[in-house]
Amino acid sequence: MRCFIPIAAVLLVSPWGDAGAGVPDRTVHQKGRKFSVEDVTVARHEPIVFLNDDTVPHNIMSTSAENGFDLGSQMPGTAIPVSFSIAGTVVVICAIHPRMEMTIKVTD
Amino acid sequence: MTNRAAFRVLVLIIASTLMSSGISNAAALVGDVRHIEIEASPVHALDELMSKYRRPDFIPFPASDAYTSAKAFLGRVLFNDTRLSSNGGLSCVSCHNSGFSYGDGRAKGIGDRMNPLDRRSPSILNSAWGDRFMWDGGAATLEEQVAEPIKNPSEMNQSLDRLVNALQEIGDYRSLFSAAFPDQSITSQTIARAIATYERTLVSSIAPFDRWIDGDNDAVTEPAKRGFALFNAKAQCASCHSGWLLTDDGFHDTGLPDEDVGRGRLFPNVLAMQHAFKTPNLREAARRGPYMHDGSLPTLAAVVAHYNQGGIKRPSRSELVAPLGLSQEEQMDLVAFLQTLTSDVRLDAAPAMPR
Repeated sequence: MRCFIPIAAVLLVSPWGDAGAGVPDRTVHQKGRKFSVEDVTVARHEPIVFLNDDTVPHNIMSTSAENGFDLGSQMPGTAIPVSFSIAGTVVVICAIHPRMEMTIKVTD
Repeated sequence: MTNRAAFRVLVLIIASTLMSSGISNAAALVGDVRHIEIEASPVHALDELMSKYRRPDFIPFPASDAYTSAKAFLGRVLFNDTRLSSNGGLSCVSCHNSGFSYGDGRAKGIGDRMNPLDRRSPSILNSAWGDRFMWDGGAATLEEQVAEPIKNPSEMNQSLDRLVNALQEIGDYRSLFSAAFPDQSITSQTIARAIATYERTLVSSIAPFDRWIDGDNDAVTEPAKRGFALFNAKAQCASCHSGWLLTDDGFHDTGLPDEDVGRGRLFPNVLAMQHAFKTPNLREAARRGPYMHDGSLPTLAAVVAHYNQGGIKRPSRSELVAPLGLSQEEQMDLVAFLQTLTSDVRLDAAPAMPR
């Protein structure tokens, strides 16, 4: 039977280390062209980490008026933290795969 | 291990060029890129891979615009009616003809007063599963999309208000709308919902590829089977052309040398969206040429050759588009695979027009 080396890759090591017991996980995974969570609440200045554990590049961004950002093309195997200084709701998409959509609620 | 090492190097190179942010302000702080140790997951068996391409059993209709036969029938009539255009010369069928697998067989569409349009008319087959329509994704839903070519001055150039008034004057249409929308009048919304419902019923039939996926080992040729393996591995087609429709409903700059910025019109500050166009599904691909958003490639062989060469280098070009090193035989195998996606699409004659 013909077998295939998958384009898929798996994460071996947590990028941000052990957050510790009782600390919410602020890592958003992108595997399978899906965000691992639909809604996340973070405090102002608290980083949320976008981890590309998928097989293709993603482009995480928000056109939020106050908290807009664009991570650019993010390759598999990289993680990037983002934090916000203004409270409010931030709608996040992947520009390349706009079915990927999530909401970050930034609280005071 | 060589591939793995190469991948790590690639990650480092790309990561070093990240953070070229077009949208940012003081309120959002983006930190440094961290690199993660990764390795390939266990090898997948062929049947596991094939299962990802199995066609669904049901057409999905949104709860906000559920299927009824009266609505689909009305939509089919409207779809064929040239009175939807301002000069009475164009219907939806003009660019989405069942004989051309619901495209028009041209490199560029033909619009109002026979003027050529900027992009190729996409096939609307299998739209029920789609997300964000038009080449640049400018319409979020099929209902939203329907109004765009009708009111676009370059296409059907029709005022929606004028269209509603014109349809209200036609007795048969009053009856058809009344049957499809018992509690509503003729509006641009009910027109759009009827046409969208009809469009969702246009689905590719079972192709040789589907029979192979379902276990008929003789349904496709050996070159096509080799092409399927290449499609999922060396040629990397499946990075974007995934699932039973062979699309990710995403937007990519595939390195075609034209000036059209595509989705960049909607996201002018996002680098990856410059020259990016929606990934088309590949069902009926062999009967849908010429190809690409600009109709610039005449055959499937030319499309495969384009991806093998990698197109033109520019900052917005997808990282997934790069020279592939495919042999001539491998390229022919890919075309053989794509030809297995052709089904017996039902030809649709125009219905009697309301008077």
